[in-house]
Amino acid sequence: MVAVELIVRDLAFGLMLGCVFSVIAHGLNIIWGVVKVVNIAHGEFIMLGAYGAYFLNLFAGITPLESAPVDAVIGLFVGYAFYYAFLHRELRNKETITLQSEMVTLAATFGLSLFISNLAVILFTGNPVGVNYNPGTLQLGYLHVPLAALYVAILSVLIIAGTWLFLEKTFIGSTIRAYAQDVTATELVGANPAKVASLATALGFAVTMTGGALLTVWVPVGINPLMGALYAPISFVIVVLGGPGKMWGSLVGGLTLGVVIDLVQAFATAQIAYAAAFLILIPVLVFRPKGILK
Amino acid sequence: MPFLKAHNVSKNFGGVQALKDVTLELPESVVLGLIGPNGSGKSTLLNIIAGLEKPTSGIVRLDNRRIDSLRANRVVGYGLAKTHQIPKPFSNMTARENVAVAVLYGRRNIPSPRLALEEADRVLSMVRMGSRKDAPANSLTVQEKKRLELARAIGTGASILLLDEVFAGLSPEELKDSIQLFKKLHNELRFSVLVVEHVMRAVLSLSQKVMVLEEGRVIATGSPDEIVHDEKVIQAYLGSKSAAA
Amino acid sequence: MNVQKPGLTLYGLFIVMAFLAAAALLLGVAVSSILVVLLIYAALAYSINFITGMIGYVDFGHVLFMAIGSYALATLVSYYGANPLLGVGLGALLGLIFALGIGLIILRFRGVYFAIATVVLVLAAYNIVLQFPQLGVGGEIIFNLTFQPLATYFTIWTIVLIEIVLTYYVNRSRIGFGIRAIKNEEDAASSVGVSPRTLKLTGYMLGGLFGGAAGAVYAWSISGVTAGPAFDFTFSLLMLAMIIIGGVGTSIGPLLGAVVVYIPSYFLLTTVAQAQPLMIGLLVIIMALFLPDGIVGLLRRSNQRLRLVLE
Repeated sequence: MVAVELIVRDLAFGLMLGCVFSVIAHGLNIIWGVVKVVNIAHGEFIMLGAYGAYFLNLFAGITPLESAPVDAVIGLFVGYAFYYAFLHRELRNKETITLQSEMVTLAATFGLSLFISNLAVILFTGNPVGVNYNPGTLQLGYLHVPLAALYVAILSVLIIAGTWLFLEKTFIGSTIRAYAQDVTATELVGANPAKVASLATALGFAVTMTGGALLTVWVPVGINPLMGALYAPISFVIVVLGGPGKMWGSLVGGLTLGVVIDLVQAFATAQIAYAAAFLILIPVLVFRPKGILK
Repeated sequence: MPFLKAHNVSKNFGGVQALKDVTLELPESVVLGLIGPNGSGKSTLLNIIAGLEKPTSGIVRLDNRRIDSLRANRVVGYGLAKTHQIPKPFSNMTARENVAVAVLYGRRNIPSPRLALEEADRVLSMVRMGSRKDAPANSLTVQEKKRLELARAIGTGASILLLDEVFAGLSPEELKDSIQLFKKLHNELRFSVLVVEHVMRAVLSLSQKVMVLEEGRVIATGSPDEIVHDEKVIQAYLGSKSAAA
Repeated sequence: MNVQKPGLTLYGLFIVMAFLAAAALLLGVAVSSILVVLLIYAALAYSINFITGMIGYVDFGHVLFMAIGSYALATLVSYYGANPLLGVGLGALLGLIFALGIGLIILRFRGVYFAIATVVLVLAAYNIVLQFPQLGVGGEIIFNLTFQPLATYFTIWTIVLIEIVLTYYVNRSRIGFGIRAIKNEEDAASSVGVSPRTLKLTGYMLGGLFGGAAGAVYAWSISGVTAGPAFDFTFSLLMLAMIIIGGVGTSIGPLLGAVVVYIPSYFLLTTVAQAQPLMIGLLVIIMALFLPDGIVGLLRRSNQRLRLVLE
């Protein structure tokens, strides 16, 4: 293949990868944007979503695409549980999260991260596993596009669009957006802040775990209990890139990262590609702390 | 000889002109009231003078030294301290520790924590908060927190105070108390003050001079009595019909 | 520094350190090889205490300085045959320098953003180190030194002692007031004359200095360094756990936290290697939610006399 063709291929793959990245970051984005809390254990829930898809595949022969909704439902319950365990106390009766509360949730979720990942090592063993899902490839000129990646990318975009529609066009969605802007005002018009915050958290976790399920397509031999350590920082960078709370930001950030990683890999090693992707965070925080989207 | 001078200070926030060509002079020991309708730029002006913001154009001088490009903590070193509109105490420290920080880092030249704490006690009793000196700052009432803001500013040893709405939200009794306290402090310590206020009673009774801002511009300066009768000022606050009436 | 006479806490800590010294000298290699790890843990805990415990900037990436120290010592010893003490010195120096360079950029980020930036730097550093064959294949450098348990032991013992004294005096000095002000309310701090930039950078640099020193001793104690474990976030997490459990910002906290984290895991010695981080994770969750000022905080709140004595 000629250089241009290689670049186009990397671009295409980068975009597809980027779509999935967007979803795994999207849950974090929702929670960060609405409840203003950053879940350090985010990566662990992606991991749980991936294992969910793996086990569903193992025991019920379900493809990752089909496990996505199952994971989503599980995520809803997990999200509610998480809210009431960790956040309810800190957020109750406060308009915004105080610095002390920020530290507390950072510390608590960090403990949670340690706990879940090590529990997973014990339960699942450290051996990496994978899901075998190959519905074939699509031939587009010189490109061999794996259908699995394509389906997952399309589903990812649909998920982001879906959450955006939910937040923009439904009544509940508007309440959540209002809460994100001004908790007290939302209370004054009759909404129960705990209900709104817990719903937003549940939604965030649902999306996160779905993202984990979709991610399995890209890590055919890499589902392991410690994968959160890689995907959490990726999610953080994506959310910062796109701007916390900006829903389409997840997509912008995710695509940017996916493309950077794949393109840089064409010229340098995978390690440099990842290093570069992570380091993008620093100049963004220095020059455009609110994200690259206006 | 004027202590604090601001020349043609303008501030533009990406399209919003918060201040336009504001000039003021604050001589030694003078109390200058700064009033104006909401959004007229009073807080922005204070922030710029205190070093929390940089002016888009214009100069601020403290005793002939330019301070407009200095960061807030450097400005404190030259003797100028500002209180916060919404009090920001060091929540997990006691009242006296709060003031001690100011004493240690202001321009008092008291590097010893022990001496700083003693001085903090003195300042707190000056503002009549002696009984609360060991209370954690987050347990203070709003009024006490405002007093603490004042105590901290005094604790830095500043000779110029910028007070941002310290009289807001007080009951008539509390207001009377605070005005009286302020007068006593001013007599004892002889600092210059730039008072941003909405509470007219306070401003008019405490200021020797008053400056009125509207939409970022100075529309009137003069004695309290002159200002109260100034047409432009009345119009700015109440609309032209009232001015006519 | 204008400080008042040292209190019971410092003397108490000196007594503990004296015991640790005596134990190594009198009880033989078996004991000292256990305690040396405890001291390394403690050194790491004190180092992260400067930036995270005292100033309140959560450094998830503190393991970076440990790695820098480890590589400094490993390179110096393995390629230049240098004395390991020089390696420790270099580790400390490089830790300091990197902290300065990095700190100038990332300390302007607040709260979570700072925390994430530190994570990103570790990941990037890990990937970059793997690019340099000079730093070993797979970033692995192994060396062969005559086994000098006492030399290693007393090097780290000295480091911890210095950290204890420094932590203690910083907390009681003018700087301590400034640091607490920043931790409580950074903007208000500058409005009373505190320079957050200077103090934050100082805290971060101290963290880098001692983190590097401890990392170097760690490499010395295991005769090598490998990229994967060197940049492992588990270390960062352990350091954070130690100060959260012990009591953030205090003089006793880091040592106490090190004991709580390390001793049980040594005695538990389960076949399940994950049991230690699992329990620590759980402990951190409980502490963060119910006892955010750690064991020291709990003790101080429970008893008036303890409140005056424990720091």
